[in-house]
Amino acid sequence: MSELLQTGFIISLLAGMVRFATPLLLGALGELVTERAGILNLGIEGMMLTGAFTGFMTTFVTGSLWLGVLAAMLSASLLGLLMAFLSTTLRVDQVLAGLGINILASGLTFYVFRVAFRDVGTANLPNIAVFQRVRVPLLADIPFVGQIVFTQHVLTFIALALVPTIWFVLYRTRQGLELRILGERPKVLDMRGLSVAARQYAAVVFGSMMAGAGGGFLTLASAGLFLPDITQGRGFIAFALVIFGNWSAGRILLGALFFGLIESLQLHLQAVGVGVPQQLLLALPYVLTIVALVVARQTSREPQSLGVPYVRSA
Amino acid sequence: MTLGTLQIQPRLSVGWREQTAALVLALLAAGAVGSLLIATAGTSVLAAARAFVQGAFGDGRIFGETLVQSTPLIFTGVAIALAFRARVWNIGAEGQFFAGATAALWMTRLLPGLPRPIMLLLVIAGAAVGGAVWAAVPGVLRARYGSNEVVTTVMMNFIMLFVLSFLLTGIWQDPGSFYAQTERIPDSAYFPRFVPGTRLHLGFALALLCAAGAFFLMRRTVVGYEIRAVGSNAPAARLNGVNVATTIVLVMVLSGALAGLAGGSEVAGLHHRLRLDISTGYGFTGIIIALLARLNPLGVVPAAVLFGALINGSTSMQIATGVPVALTAAIQGITLIFVLAFDALARYRIRTVRPDV
Repeated sequence: MSELLQTGFIISLLAGMVRFATPLLLGALGELVTERAGILNLGIEGMMLTGAFTGFMTTFVTGSLWLGVLAAMLSASLLGLLMAFLSTTLRVDQVLAGLGINILASGLTFYVFRVAFRDVGTANLPNIAVFQRVRVPLLADIPFVGQIVFTQHVLTFIALALVPTIWFVLYRTRQGLELRILGERPKVLDMRGLSVAARQYAAVVFGSMMAGAGGGFLTLASAGLFLPDITQGRGFIAFALVIFGNWSAGRILLGALFFGLIESLQLHLQAVGVGVPQQLLLALPYVLTIVALVVARQTSREPQSLGVPYVRSA
Repeated sequence: MTLGTLQIQPRLSVGWREQTAALVLALLAAGAVGSLLIATAGTSVLAAARAFVQGAFGDGRIFGETLVQSTPLIFTGVAIALAFRARVWNIGAEGQFFAGATAALWMTRLLPGLPRPIMLLLVIAGAAVGGAVWAAVPGVLRARYGSNEVVTTVMMNFIMLFVLSFLLTGIWQDPGSFYAQTERIPDSAYFPRFVPGTRLHLGFALALLCAAGAFFLMRRTVVGYEIRAVGSNAPAARLNGVNVATTIVLVMVLSGALAGLAGGSEVAGLHHRLRLDISTGYGFTGIIIALLARLNPLGVVPAAVLFGALINGSTSMQIATGVPVALTAAIQGITLIFVLAFDALARYRIRTVRPDV
């Protein structure tokens, strides 16, 4: 057990926390913006999966990791357009539209992966070299904090920087105000001649790009390979983080770090070899997601019109 | 919306003609995209289609296999139709399937020496209770704390997989096998097969019975009325004296029991042991089937047979032409999107109007 108390172990554990929090944070911040605009995007799991897949495939073919990130975001944004079309234009029930996106993404990525790599088994999975971590000059030299926060992937820095940015946009800009009104009383915007649909499309597409980037992080910065359903429910956990975070960017960051810590703990405890069944460790994030939903059930900042399609005459 | 003299208006009511048209168009569109996917894999669509039809409907025995394949899908389809009718989004049928399978298998390990009729009853009851218990957790959390059941049921799916993986690589692993699977269940727990030359088993009959029972429940009983009332307008149902929380838990328990029966039926009727691959996502296919059937438990039966044919047809297509069997997963997703979109479009009509002057 002495290994658990060494500073090197703790630094590695906490650096892992920040790293594993990244895809959850990206997805959850995107979902926050989408839900603020009144759209419940349960398709986030499928969007992350699509980002993970196209990101991997693009990098596998072109060798460029940043092209992979771009492809991850673009492909997920296509699903975002589909989600917006179903929910805003056709007014399909948003839960069903989201489920449809997930099942579609799961099936399509699985099929295309199998078509592209017909003869691969678990032993010879195609893989790519992942992103290297980056040291921020000067800041990375701060003891502890430097190694934990300032020696990370560029995508992690972007995700962290987006927390105050999204808060600022939502609460200090005109566009943010309009977006928040959209989730509360869309009629107010409509009566002033501002397009509800255009803003909802924009919000859903933004959210899906964030989910795509989060999914891309999984294959391009973490795994270096693709497996069917590699997201393993992380999209749903990101979705739950928005509820857990009571629709506030700061609390979402805390939630993402908590689940990042759990995932980091799994990895580190496995490496050390603690006498706990592996499956118990693996099930932990899913059990804790349920616990988190029950414990933190403040919904004071839930948008009032969340999930309700806007109809002008009503 | 107006385009020249054409105007798109909402329909006052959507009749069976529009609904049927939407369904047919959705299936045709899904078939077209599916063919496109086969073509992009570099295979002749015609050859693939021939292998597909042969593998799904080739002769009596093959069609029997399609019915065998549709058995778990009828159960999960009915399970989801019930829950969705109450607007309780049970995405956890996959986990409940395995909870049922696990409980059924546990019965055979606990009391292996029982005479056959009692054993069969025990296996069936165990499967239903196992699925019901696994579904009750998200049901109670939704009813009591308002926890989003989409998230909790999905989480329960993952938790079930880890529980099962723990059992199958540990205390339940077949000592004579390298694989993560249990030993065979005792003969007394095998579901009887009743059509010579096919593997059709008791589970299929049970599934049809459940579909009919669920139809009766929804149309002819107070409970069914309350489930529909909660689904169409929960606050109004509450004002009319329906206990919404109880109804939510009840519908989840019923739904879970049905999904659990699917798992028990696959173990006792087909595989005779428990493995992680006895479901290829039947819980999720059930969602598409239920929506295709417009949440009507009787409509689930033909929809499930259609998807049973899709699964078996794709398998034979892979053998004959090399198109990956993952195609079924892709087609399922495409079908669901088209069904949602065409159902929504059926609510509108196009009219010629005189231009406003």
